[in-house]
Amino acid sequence: MAIDGLVILDSTGRPIVQSGFRSTSPAYPLLHIEALNDALSKAPRPADADPVLYVPNTGIDGPSACCHVKRGELRFLGLMSGDTDPLYVFAFLETFISILRDYFGQLSAETLKENFDVVYQLLEETLDAGGHPSTTSINALKDIVLPPSLLSKVLSVAGVSGLASPGTNSHPFASPIPWRKVGVRYNSNEIFFDVAEELKAVVNKNGGIIVSSVWGKVHTNCRLSGTPDLLLSFSNAQPLTDCSFHPCVRLQRWSRDKNLSFVPPDGRFILMEYKYTPGGVHHVAVPFALKASVDCEVNGGSFDVALTSRLTTKVLENMNVELYLGEGATSASCVVSNNTSWNFDPRTRILHWNIKAVSPSSSFSLKGTFSSTAEQPRPSHAFRARFEIPQHSFSSLKVDQLKITGEMYKPYKGVRGRSTGDVEWRW
Amino acid sequence: MAAFRAPPRKGENFELSADLNSEYKEKRKDAIKRVIANMTVQKDVSGLFPDVLKNMQTDDLEQKKLVYLYLMNYAKTQPELVILAVNTFVKDTDDPNPLVRALAIRTMGCLRAEKIIDYLCDPLQKCLRDENPYVRKTAALCVAKLYDLKPELVIENGFLETLQEMIADSNPMVVANTVAALTDIHIAAAAAGSNTEVFVITSAVLNKLLIALNECSEWGRVAILNALGRYETHDDRESEHICERVVPQFQHANASVVLSAIKVIMIHMRSVRSETLTKQLVRKMAPPLVTLLSNPPEVQWVALRDINLLLQKRPDILSNEMRVFFCKYNDPLYVKVEKLDIMVRLAGPNNVDALLSELKEYASEVDVDFVRRSIKAIGQTAIKIDEAAERCVNVLMELIGTRVSYVVQEGVVVMKDIFRKYPSTYEGVIPTLCANLDELDEPEAKASLIWIIGEYANKIDNADELLGIFVDSFTEESYPVQLQTLTAVVKLFLRKPDTSQDVRDRAYIYWRLLSTDPGAAKAVVLAHRPPISLPRTTVSPALLEELLGEIPSLASVYHKPEETFVGRGRIGADAIPKGGSELADDRATAQKAFQTVAAGQQAENLLNFDDPTSNDGQQPTGLAATTVLTSTPAATNLLSGTSSNPLDDLVSIFGNTGIGTNAAPPPTPGQPQTHLNAFGGLSFGGQPMSPAPPMTPSVLQAVSPPPQQQQQQGAQDDLLGLF
Repeated sequence: MAIDGLVILDSTGRPIVQSGFRSTSPAYPLLHIEALNDALSKAPRPADADPVLYVPNTGIDGPSACCHVKRGELRFLGLMSGDTDPLYVFAFLETFISILRDYFGQLSAETLKENFDVVYQLLEETLDAGGHPSTTSINALKDIVLPPSLLSKVLSVAGVSGLASPGTNSHPFASPIPWRKVGVRYNSNEIFFDVAEELKAVVNKNGGIIVSSVWGKVHTNCRLSGTPDLLLSFSNAQPLTDCSFHPCVRLQRWSRDKNLSFVPPDGRFILMEYKYTPGGVHHVAVPFALKASVDCEVNGGSFDVALTSRLTTKVLENMNVELYLGEGATSASCVVSNNTSWNFDPRTRILHWNIKAVSPSSSFSLKGTFSSTAEQPRPSHAFRARFEIPQHSFSSLKVDQLKITGEMYKPYKGVRGRSTGDVEWRW
Repeated sequence: MAAFRAPPRKGENFELSADLNSEYKEKRKDAIKRVIANMTVQKDVSGLFPDVLKNMQTDDLEQKKLVYLYLMNYAKTQPELVILAVNTFVKDTDDPNPLVRALAIRTMGCLRAEKIIDYLCDPLQKCLRDENPYVRKTAALCVAKLYDLKPELVIENGFLETLQEMIADSNPMVVANTVAALTDIHIAAAAAGSNTEVFVITSAVLNKLLIALNECSEWGRVAILNALGRYETHDDRESEHICERVVPQFQHANASVVLSAIKVIMIHMRSVRSETLTKQLVRKMAPPLVTLLSNPPEVQWVALRDINLLLQKRPDILSNEMRVFFCKYNDPLYVKVEKLDIMVRLAGPNNVDALLSELKEYASEVDVDFVRRSIKAIGQTAIKIDEAAERCVNVLMELIGTRVSYVVQEGVVVMKDIFRKYPSTYEGVIPTLCANLDELDEPEAKASLIWIIGEYANKIDNADELLGIFVDSFTEESYPVQLQTLTAVVKLFLRKPDTSQDVRDRAYIYWRLLSTDPGAAKAVVLAHRPPISLPRTTVSPALLEELLGEIPSLASVYHKPEETFVGRGRIGADAIPKGGSELADDRATAQKAFQTVAAGQQAENLLNFDDPTSNDGQQPTGLAATTVLTSTPAATNLLSGTSSNPLDDLVSIFGNTGIGTNAAPPPTPGQPQTHLNAFGGLSFGGQPMSPAPPMTPSVLQAVSPPPQQQQQQGAQDDLLGLF
């Protein structure tokens, strides 16, 4: 019962990286890849293929399953046999993907191929051959697997040896705190908190909110020397519910007085995730209003959409409104307000309407028609609107103070809020 | 890395070989990288084995890792050559750098070459007691790998005892890995048929696990939580203690840790006696489950499947959280389907309005499959909540009013179920349903409408005309529609004796039966049916308990016990509660079906109505069977899993119930038999009129005589029981 291995496929479904499988026949991963590609081609939309595919007859004792996720152009497969928890596999895949991001930035088949030696080393360290994930903390990993850096590349091209060989820490895992390495030194000590909140809402055609919830994450970038012990307090932490924390957070302290006490890992990490549940009012308001009418006729239809900001001071940025025009939709033609643009993607049959900035209380409109090969076109019954509000948080979570103990210096602190929204507006 | 992408050239391996032997360090390292690159795209570079091996002794850790990677890949095919590397491995396990020590021991464990294993034991012994925790935790896992290859070595060297001691290690990561290794060995030993428990969790071990739980990595926590789930508590205080210590794990960021913790709580909560604590635990379970839904759709799906199970055991967990399960139109279908199921589970009088308006919204969506499921869900809600039934019917009528073909058809099917649950309540909608008669082209929908017409024949003025339409096209209709037409015609006759001759002619066989004893026939055909209800669970209680113990795992996601899809059964198949195997073994079902058909054949002599010796008590069996069948979705569901059996067509009409898509399998082994008996009765009743399923009575009878007598008895008992 364990993860048998990991496969990364490129956009055409061909494997670029494979790991594990030493104890199984070479056909084992191939059968899974085949099963996956088969399932993807059979699903009405590739996204509808079951995320856990059962793969019988792989030649090992007992059948196995394949868990897969798609990130960017790449698809990550976690193969498992026996009665393993699929969540365990998904959690590992997510962790591995975030490690890759941390090492290489944006992920693409090219980057992985160029740095395959690092990728393989990472796989060796993160997934033990017995199928148990081992070291997945970025801090510990960077001690053992050196990230590709410009310097090491230049050196290797220049043929200078010795210098490029990793000056690895000779006492890995000597740190008493598993997530933080010892002997961290910075010239300027700084720590940044990014409070990112996402509003997810479903609104009915009268503008009434059916569901709305705000999920927040506190992204942290910690560049502090030594072993600092931090105490972060908020001035209004009460409406934060359903919290989950980075293991560094002392849970007892939080349940006692809603203060976060922790020794941070070095570098970037997510300190906490929460759900914002405002007291009193039932829902978080959606910061804009959409008035839409869609009429379907034979082989086509027309639509008329008006969008108005409900904010009074802040600007909604990168507003993207989309409407799926239904099976058989072939083209659309629209008239839109100034400073907005539209396009229709005939492959996905989605009409996009982009507004760079929706200033306070401003309105925009989109009018148009579409044609379809379907006699009775059935466009989706909802618009999907996504937007960003920089320097804003729905919960207006405020950091009261950050106390540091255990170290003498005074760090530079920064707190930022940013919000995004993903709203389904029915018509 | 240009060489990586270049097409294979002639003599590439030759060039690589030259580079591997180069006097320049960097050139050699680059060559190794290229070899590995070729290896990973499945090119054969095994010929370079000796050249690569030469580069094993190096100070450059990265290079060493790459060489090790190469060795692991080819150790299986070239074991003789790997022996050459053994010395370096053993030497490396003494290296001052702990990373090298760990790397060496890990690689040796992965080589899986018989010959190397004998050299592994001594270094492993040393590494298990290494001063560095990284080396210790790597060595712990290595023991599990060694056990996999040669269990006797592990036992001879006392590694098991060493591992037991390591549970008390000061480093939580070492503890976690030790637990993982011991669990692996435990499972492997059990699979191999060993009777001794390798990893017994005593209360001393328990305490160490509870301490390490809060300090190790997420993967370690999952391993420890799984072990905690296996622990058998001595009293309720101990159970309470475990629950209290595990609850904080609900706040971990890793979904897998959260669900593993929920599993432990579900297991140990059984023996918690304090009501307040139980309530408290249940209340604390809701937030982490809701949080799981903010994850990507793949994780959501697994979580939803598990939530579905949890709700069957504890319907109160998420009673106030129905809204979080509302579907978004761009959710993947697999997520929507699960959410729909859970929404109906959570439906109650206080939230039914929100649910209905949501379901109505879904019924206008693009995806046909999802629309149908949403309409089914409306029917399920109507059946579940009495006071909301009327609102459900109104919504259904609105939907049928859209005249979208598949909406209408599904609506009619669902209405039939509502009539079953609330007889004579919503007759007002019948004309609307009948008005859509022309739109129906699916057998299931047609059969449902015919059933409604037959049932309410006395309330529908032109029932005979409507049925006449189906009677005229009788020979073209599918089997289920034919059967349902027949039944309806008889009902029509009984309810409106003055009905037209034509219809009655068609029901000649029934008429003959009826003319013998109309009173009995009436009692049977128009009998009161057992009320339909929504199964609260889709799996039997015993199976539910077992699956909850498996949360989170593949078993709980598939809602099937592990043994049914994992070949090697730890618990023999017999140990699974019999009623639980929803996938009632194909063969057994078919066998039973044939036996009952045979019984029916035997009973055919009953059709000889003129025979004065005909037993009155037995006479209704045939007809009764038809009605019984219409009214027992469970029977049809039981069979619907085995489509290879031609007999299934017979009953597929009744499989439409929508209510019982997953109807709970009968809890006792006796019950399926009796349903099947009813079904056997039907087949003889229908035979003279219509294409019967291919049967070879002689063979079947040869098979069945012994059980036949009993079964008939059983059928009668059951029928009597039903009325």
